[in-house]
Amino acid sequence: MNAAVNGADLPERSFTMVVGALGGEGGGVLANWIVAAAESLDFPVQSTSIPGVAQRTGATTYYIEIYPAPYAVLGGRSPVMALYATPGNMDVVVASELMEAGRALELGWVTDRRTTLIASTHRIYSIQEKSAMGDGRFETGNLVKAADGMANRAILFDMDRLAQANDTAINAVILGVIAGSDATPIPAEAFEKAIEISGVAVSANLRGFRAGLGFVRGDARIPEPPPPLPRGGREIDLDSLLTKSAEDFPAAAQRVVQEGIRRTVDYQDPGYGQRFLEGAARFLAADRSAGGADRNFDLTVEASRYLALWMTYEDIIRVADLKGRPERMARVRREVGAREGEPLVVTEFLKPGFEELASVLPPALGRGLMRWTDRKPSRRKVHLAMRVKTNTVFGYARLRALAALRFWRPRTYRFAEEWAEIAAWIDAVEAAAARSYDLALAIAELPNLRKGYSDTHRRGVANYRRVFAGLARPAAQTAGDPADAAAALDEVRRAALADPEGEALDAALAAASAQIGRAAPDTGSAAAG
Amino acid sequence: MERSFAKEVELLRKGDGEYFEGEGILAITKALLQSGVSYVGGYQGAPVSHLMDVLTSDSKGLMAELGVHTETCANEAAAAAMLAASVNYPIRGAVTWKSTVGTNVAADALSNVASCGVVGGALIILGEDYGEGSSIIQERTHPFAMKCSMPLMDPRTSHPRMVALIEKGFELSEASNTPVMVEFRIRACHVTGRFATKDNRQGEYSTNRPIPKHDFSLERIALPPATYSQEERKVEQRLPAAVDFIRENALNEVFDGAYDDVGIVCQGGLFNSVIRGLQQMGLANVFGESELPILCLNVTYPLVDDEIAAFCAGKRAVLVVEEGFPDYLEQAINALLRKADLNTGIHGKGLFPKAGEYQPEVMLRGLAGFIEGAVPRGLDLAPVSQAVAELDRTKAAAAELLGGGVPKRPPGFCTGCPERPVFSAIKLVQREEDIGEFHISADIGCHSFAALPPFGLGNTITGYGLGLSSSAGVAPQFEKRMVSIMGDGGFWHNGLATGVSGAAFNKHDSVLVIMANGYSSATGQQHIPSTTAGGAVPGDTVMPIERALRGLGVTWVRKQYTYRVGKMKKLLHEALTTREKGLKVIIAEAECQIAKQRRLRPLLRKALDAGKRVVRTRFGVDEDSCTGDHSCIRLSGCPSLTVKPNPDPLRKDPIAHVNNGCVGCGLCGEVADAAVLCPSFYKADIVQNPSRIDRALDRTRRRVIGAMGGGSDRAEAGA
Repeated sequence: MNAAVNGADLPERSFTMVVGALGGEGGGVLANWIVAAAESLDFPVQSTSIPGVAQRTGATTYYIEIYPAPYAVLGGRSPVMALYATPGNMDVVVASELMEAGRALELGWVTDRRTTLIASTHRIYSIQEKSAMGDGRFETGNLVKAADGMANRAILFDMDRLAQANDTAINAVILGVIAGSDATPIPAEAFEKAIEISGVAVSANLRGFRAGLGFVRGDARIPEPPPPLPRGGREIDLDSLLTKSAEDFPAAAQRVVQEGIRRTVDYQDPGYGQRFLEGAARFLAADRSAGGADRNFDLTVEASRYLALWMTYEDIIRVADLKGRPERMARVRREVGAREGEPLVVTEFLKPGFEELASVLPPALGRGLMRWTDRKPSRRKVHLAMRVKTNTVFGYARLRALAALRFWRPRTYRFAEEWAEIAAWIDAVEAAAARSYDLALAIAELPNLRKGYSDTHRRGVANYRRVFAGLARPAAQTAGDPADAAAALDEVRRAALADPEGEALDAALAAASAQIGRAAPDTGSAAAG
Repeated sequence: MERSFAKEVELLRKGDGEYFEGEGILAITKALLQSGVSYVGGYQGAPVSHLMDVLTSDSKGLMAELGVHTETCANEAAAAAMLAASVNYPIRGAVTWKSTVGTNVAADALSNVASCGVVGGALIILGEDYGEGSSIIQERTHPFAMKCSMPLMDPRTSHPRMVALIEKGFELSEASNTPVMVEFRIRACHVTGRFATKDNRQGEYSTNRPIPKHDFSLERIALPPATYSQEERKVEQRLPAAVDFIRENALNEVFDGAYDDVGIVCQGGLFNSVIRGLQQMGLANVFGESELPILCLNVTYPLVDDEIAAFCAGKRAVLVVEEGFPDYLEQAINALLRKADLNTGIHGKGLFPKAGEYQPEVMLRGLAGFIEGAVPRGLDLAPVSQAVAELDRTKAAAAELLGGGVPKRPPGFCTGCPERPVFSAIKLVQREEDIGEFHISADIGCHSFAALPPFGLGNTITGYGLGLSSSAGVAPQFEKRMVSIMGDGGFWHNGLATGVSGAAFNKHDSVLVIMANGYSSATGQQHIPSTTAGGAVPGDTVMPIERALRGLGVTWVRKQYTYRVGKMKKLLHEALTTREKGLKVIIAEAECQIAKQRRLRPLLRKALDAGKRVVRTRFGVDEDSCTGDHSCIRLSGCPSLTVKPNPDPLRKDPIAHVNNGCVGCGLCGEVADAAVLCPSFYKADIVQNPSRIDRALDRTRRRVIGAMGGGSDRAEAGA
């Protein structure tokens, strides 16, 4: 090919680069800077992109090609440049986010022969990842490994954090990293000049550019994120309870059990913490006799986790209590970026209905009210919309008044209802442990279905009850092969979390009962497979 | 438009001895001015919006100097009809739109103008929105050119060539007395590059040099018997004239190559991709000099038969690289070789897929397949198969290391989009027992994205502004009412005339939601007749949608600010259940957030810098009361409403989180409220540059709250 290029000094091919970004991240501006830098050197350059629908939160790419020789030496000829990033033909691949780096790898853009891969390791979650009932996030562990494995050189770090620490945009930081990588035919100064010439937010962009450049050259670090603010809570003397737990529980379970005690005492009173500890102790005993030492006491950990969470169910009292804490206001200030000296007014959206009212009444009254409410669906829709301004005196007083109902809580309808179910669940976990460790573990994790508030909560609880009564409890006692039941429970739990409307759950439950039913003759013998 | 195009207009002013450096679509715009156009019209749509945006932004400046009349047409049919100016008078002009959808709308006027013929050069600049990133159905523009016997150009992607071909296009149009279509693919419109500019030219007649006398000739009217003689002239004289012009001016390019027993015929727009593919196999150098002969068709209709026959003569095999279906070029080439009695083997579809964009991987495989099959005399095939093998190896290695597909990112509504709340309200009203789920006849626009996750709303889309018309057949087949959706862009483009008047005329009993965000947003926030731009458009020039509806006799019309989800839900319920017959229209109003932010941000910055009191609103989620069920996300899908790892040591699932992209539109709070979701959302009003009263009030509040046990957040403030 060399022979075809007249003049031995002319480069054999163009430099190629692709930027994978998400709409609204400034990928177009980044491409413009690079083009301007190449133009300032009088290099033939071409960039192209696909805006349009991809721009609205979708993935989009910018493709840039530069011929690293000035027009003056080309004698009127001009290189023919491509309009697409071409697999196997890329010098630099940039991804503004980790999953987009994965997409670049998938497309074959990154090769160890030529490609420098520059990617920020932060995540912007896609809609599928965000909207799962549970944890739908894409597993990125493989991604970093693949990036390192496929690229000639991989520069991977959290450029978003570096941008935030410098109070600038990520595209400027990325340009700095590109400049610092020395993988392009353009010197860093030319990029810097391109930012200056563009004339938009020059000082912030230069700050970002220098941060990125400095990081790659090893002159700068990413500042640590500020430490999390204290969560807050009542001041309580936990020492006696914590010491006891420290003695009784294995190391693996310490963290969850201690946190459980703190949470339950903070939620109600030391006696409530004691009650948690008794439950946790029952799990530990069952765990030990089922050989939990070999399983890292997973059963104790998971069952105690969900016991603590269930015991501290979010009623309006708890929500008011949490929202009225001073530590929370400090967190809000940081979250919304309010500066020192800027007054802040926080508005809460509370909307209690008959169900919430019933939940704080004595059991008999509450039950009566719920029965009355259920008689007419329209009654479910009656709500008292409360917009509470927490930083105002009256608003704060309202929250405090609600939070003060804490002392009344153990005598309420909802408390009685929750505890009836908690007790049944503890029994089931205990019973299951005698049959199969995995089955007990699966039942222990079941309360994770009881999530959310209002309608979401109602559906979650209904799902929990269907699974518990239909599958978990029978399996814990006698029915079927426990290993099958454990697998089926896991499957059903996943289905319930996949689709809040319960359609996936219906199918999974039907499949599970069919399977367990076939596999389990009435004798409960473990012979069936 | 809330955007400024001053920089772009400066580029258009360049003249002899200067260089233009910028985007393809702007280079095309410059070529129009260099050709001496007197009028330009069009309808916005990617990828050609920019042409209209830039020209109309400066109608009183450069355009007035050059005497060019520019107009944002009501739709593509109106734009095509503008070409009538060139039917009687030697006036050059151009119109533009997105194809093929826009060409469909324009088809009536196009056929008529093509039949009557033109005396002034008339160009139709088409954004061929095909392939990756396209927002429309996948079809080719090619058959429109064929059925109208109108030349179709598909220029090779290189700024100097694109500009020269536009200039030649006007001459071609005048030589053949026929309008000429010029198609540019998305990437070609957005490609940057440079070319040596020429001075802009003024037309023979223009707004500065009026036409002296009107011209009347029955021969130029689409009315029998003239239509018969027009057809004959079009086919017998004008089309052959076009062929002669194309041949004589060498609009198509032949590039010789060493291995001349084979060859490649490609559409001009695909030339660069062909070269990149050949480069990968070591068969072309960086300047595009190919080892295989190439015939680059910058004009894909009509074909110059003898030119193609001459290229094919003496070759054993020729590859036709032609994107999209049907394979008109391949068919035509086969037919003309048969007539010329040439035995050259023609390959194309088969080696290349019938459908879809010819991206680099497809191109490489197609070219390699041809070369390996044809075996050019003396060519070493090893580098060819190596290039393909390496591609396979890379992709396989990546797939194995990744261990699973990377999730897709479907487009969705922007942060703070005013259309999103309407779909949240629809979701909520569908949950009510007396309503249930219903059929939705959707439309083109940003609101089409409602069909994608997380909403999944919208059963059909049949065209721009056709949301209501598409309900005509299906609505009577349901027991309960259904809902049609239309944007305000679609309403003025087509929906008012076809949908609303049809529904009123036929007394439809259905519900129409008009998304009135004030702009043609999906194409770049162009103004439409009802645009107010937050008061920036003079009130007496705004055409309110409501008055248009009432003028057509629609009586049930309600307006609702979209962000009030609860009220929107109630209104939808009322529209779906009211006893009143006839069309019920909800005008869902709130300004496009992109346009709004573009206008407000600089004002806010100015106010802040001047020390003025500014209240900034943001939303957030309390991390200790969020249970991680993500119901809020499923009812919103806002990009700034996302998830983050759960800071609670007991909880495992990620919690909802509002990131810094939040513009404070308030939807998450509204949804949490209307759907009775969860109390975790809070609204934070931050007073920037607080007044003395603000500070005093704040101090007092803190003191009293502190005394009530609320402590003081002063210590952590600003941490």
